[in-house]
Amino acid sequence: MSTRKPDNQSGLLQGTLDLLILQTVVLGPVHGHAIARSIENRSREVLQVGHGSLYPALQRLIKDGLIVAEDGTSENNRKARFYRLTKKGHRKLFAETSRWHRFSEAIGWVLTPLTEESK
Amino acid sequence: MTWSKKRGEVLKDEIEAHIDFEIQENIEAGMLPEEARLAAMRKFGNVLLARERSREIWGWLWAERLWQDIRYALRGFGRNPGFVTVALLSLMLGIGASVALFSVVYGVLIAPYPYSKPNEIWAPAVLAPNYPPHAWHRYTRREFEEIQKLPAFSDVMATDVHQVLMTGDTSTESFYGVFLTSGAFNFIGVKPLLGRTIQPYDIPAGGKPNAVVVLTYGLWRSMFDGDPHVLGKTTILDGVPHTVIGVMPPRFGWWTSEAFWLPMPMDLSDDTPINVVMRLAPGTTKEVAEQQLNELNLHLAEANPTNFPKGQMRTILNNYMDITQASGPMKSSLDLLLAAVGLLLLIACVNVANLQLARMTARSREIAMRMAIGAGRGRLVRQLLTESVLLSLLGGALGVFFSFAVVRAIVALIPPDNVPNEARITINGYVLLFSLAVSMLTGIFFGLLPALRSSHPDLADALKDGGTGAGGSIRGQATRSGLVVFEIALSVILLTGASLAIRRFIGQLRTDPGFQPEKTLALRVTLQPERYPTVEQRNDFDRDLIENISNLPGVQAAAIGNGGMPYSGWESSYALEGQPRVDGRKVVISLVSSNYLRSLGIPLKRGRNFTPAEVENGMHLALINESAARLWPVGTDPAGKRMQVDALGQPLKPPVLVAPGIGPEVTIIGVVGDTKNDGLRNVTLPAVYVPYTLVAPPERQLAVRTFGDPLGVLNAVRQKIHAMDKGLALGRPMTIDEMLGQEVEQQRFNMALFSGFAALGLALAALGIYCVISYNVTQRVHEIGVRMALGASRADILKWVLRAAAKVAAVGLFIGFCGSIALEKLVRFNVFGTAKFDGVSFAAVMILLSVVALLAAWLPARRAGKLDPVAALRNEA
Repeated sequence: MSTRKPDNQSGLLQGTLDLLILQTVVLGPVHGHAIARSIENRSREVLQVGHGSLYPALQRLIKDGLIVAEDGTSENNRKARFYRLTKKGHRKLFAETSRWHRFSEAIGWVLTPLTEESK
Repeated sequence: MTWSKKRGEVLKDEIEAHIDFEIQENIEAGMLPEEARLAAMRKFGNVLLARERSREIWGWLWAERLWQDIRYALRGFGRNPGFVTVALLSLMLGIGASVALFSVVYGVLIAPYPYSKPNEIWAPAVLAPNYPPHAWHRYTRREFEEIQKLPAFSDVMATDVHQVLMTGDTSTESFYGVFLTSGAFNFIGVKPLLGRTIQPYDIPAGGKPNAVVVLTYGLWRSMFDGDPHVLGKTTILDGVPHTVIGVMPPRFGWWTSEAFWLPMPMDLSDDTPINVVMRLAPGTTKEVAEQQLNELNLHLAEANPTNFPKGQMRTILNNYMDITQASGPMKSSLDLLLAAVGLLLLIACVNVANLQLARMTARSREIAMRMAIGAGRGRLVRQLLTESVLLSLLGGALGVFFSFAVVRAIVALIPPDNVPNEARITINGYVLLFSLAVSMLTGIFFGLLPALRSSHPDLADALKDGGTGAGGSIRGQATRSGLVVFEIALSVILLTGASLAIRRFIGQLRTDPGFQPEKTLALRVTLQPERYPTVEQRNDFDRDLIENISNLPGVQAAAIGNGGMPYSGWESSYALEGQPRVDGRKVVISLVSSNYLRSLGIPLKRGRNFTPAEVENGMHLALINESAARLWPVGTDPAGKRMQVDALGQPLKPPVLVAPGIGPEVTIIGVVGDTKNDGLRNVTLPAVYVPYTLVAPPERQLAVRTFGDPLGVLNAVRQKIHAMDKGLALGRPMTIDEMLGQEVEQQRFNMALFSGFAALGLALAALGIYCVISYNVTQRVHEIGVRMALGASRADILKWVLRAAAKVAAVGLFIGFCGSIALEKLVRFNVFGTAKFDGVSFAAVMILLSVVALLAAWLPARRAGKLDPVAALRNEA
């Protein structure tokens, strides 16, 4: 058994996860579990995010000043930390979303001819 | 830290809450509580990892990790006290020695002079074929003024030293006063502690200089009791009252540290040579300056040919720092010592590297295990590195303390004459920084290598429960052996150097000075010129002095011997009868009484000695030494021949008086044995001995040979002289043995230091060898078990281990041998001046180290032999 680590594939995923979180938080303060749930639901269970990787991402977003955390009470009267977007976060969300759309569109153009030919 | 802990708590709670939510949802979806919890946990993933990665983002993780690493390292040290002790010891000795020596080098060589820009002071020298090399060419006052006019130099000054009598209320003492040209203190650029320094207006052109004097700090303290109101006081120097105008700071000692400075009288008709130094004008290169000076020298040679070589000459400028005392024999010693200390440090590093390697490979199972459960390679390497750096910082701290002790010891041993007056050797901030840098670098260097090697990802075999075990890898073995070889080689070089120095020293002790220095006292007696204004009075005094002293109980013989006792006297150019003159060559003149030969034990080789009558009447007769006799063509007997000694024919300035009717021509009556009159290490200069009655300077050197201890007679001599004339000044009496001893002190210092370092090197090397061989045995325990199981006896095992050690040692010795030969050739002339190859030293060192290596291998070998084969096979020994 080698002790070599598998290549870290989360490069792409990291950035994307950040974006998803920002999008989820834009609608108002929400706590960690709700964010995870929301992403899963809205992506129709396609994106299964390890809930554990959520928290480092949240810390990173706080560090970058895109979201802030505050204590609050959840719907079932439990203490929880709620996250909401900052102005900077708004701007970043907008910029990144546009970029993402352009990016996926471009990929689409490249891939489409192939699928037509294989018909 | 507590803040980060709090944050950690908050996060923990948050994650718990998160999981609770999930559990809640799962239960609502219909799962059983236990199932719900398991599902939630699975969904979440690794809680600890999440927390740690979050902490990472916060950014303080590095500090926490560092603290963790340090605690872990300290625990590790506690479990391995032997390793830590040896490692710390090696570092302490190596670093301590290097810091101490750096301090000495810094204090003596790099920053010895407090002058402004000391490395920009130049001294002229003249080179020509057949011209004896002088490191510093001296000029007359007239020539000095010419030099001042050259555009290449922005500032020129000159120094001269001669005896000055200071008459106090109670006593008269003679000092070597330092005379300086105008602007000299500005040239040197050091401010006085009190008052002012000698200024250009103190020396009017062509006239007499003001009667002012600047005191050294030492004199101010000893003779004037450090009186803060000393300025304006007068003191009588050579009969003339001088006003004290200033006191220099303690760290300043231009040509003296116990006397004083006086303005130099600039009488241009005075031809006595003075020592000139200069600074270059801005924008002028050394080459341009040398060129200009050379042209001037050619010009001056026409006016004063005796001061210059004939024909072609080349002028160079030597850096003042290179030719002054500290840079002479001391510099070469210190350079060598610096190299030696570098070697010592290297040995110490190699030792520790070895230890680290051994320990690392012993831990590679542990390391592989840690990597298998998820430790990153970077993290591991950082931890191992922290350990090494911690070890070296501790070692460095110990080393700094040790260095204080060593510096004290070195300072106590340095012969005072070899260090410039102004050097202050202390440990300073730069040195501390240097030592810390050294310790950090050694930590990083020898920590990184094994750390990188041990954390190599493919350590699959490390986890296998193999018999070879961790560390049996061939590469590791080779590296360790290589390091031992390196260490032995370095030790050979260090010890060889030490041996050469020691033997050289012993050789010098046995250098025959050419006379018999034991039981002889040397005393300088100075007459006050005004009280003995005529030659007859002085000669009468001398005659009486010799007679009185000779008659004292315990005295074998007493004589007068100005110059040449034992060191060179007064230089003069000369001409031999029937031979063409050779320009630039000089002989040294000594003024002696008739029983000089007997008093000093100098053998007469040919001809005869003076008779007392001849000396009394000031006859122009001379004795010459063998070196002077060789100036004649081979086969000629100089006895009976005549010689022209120019200095005797030149008019001499008062207070030196000459006998009426003195002329330069003398007839040689005998040849005496050579004495080392230019220092024990230098070739004998040709010398001429003439009756002292020909020239009557104020000071005379008295030589007193006693039957018993010369110092026992000293008081009687003093009293007798005092009875003859109360106003006489006596210089410090010394036995001639003591005078010679000062030269030998330099070598003694070398030897002591070298021996010390060599002993340290030997100890470190022995330690290193022991550790590595011992470790090797431990690693091959399984193999030893197998051998024993296959029938090897204890003796066989012993031989096997020793043979392996011997192979390694042999390679090391060979390489060290080659290395030291190469180094010795490089260093031979530079430092030791020996012309012969010292085979004995090499042989001795090789043998010594072989013995040490084998002894260091013996103990582990014996242990190997005693192993229980069964336990060994199970690798549990």
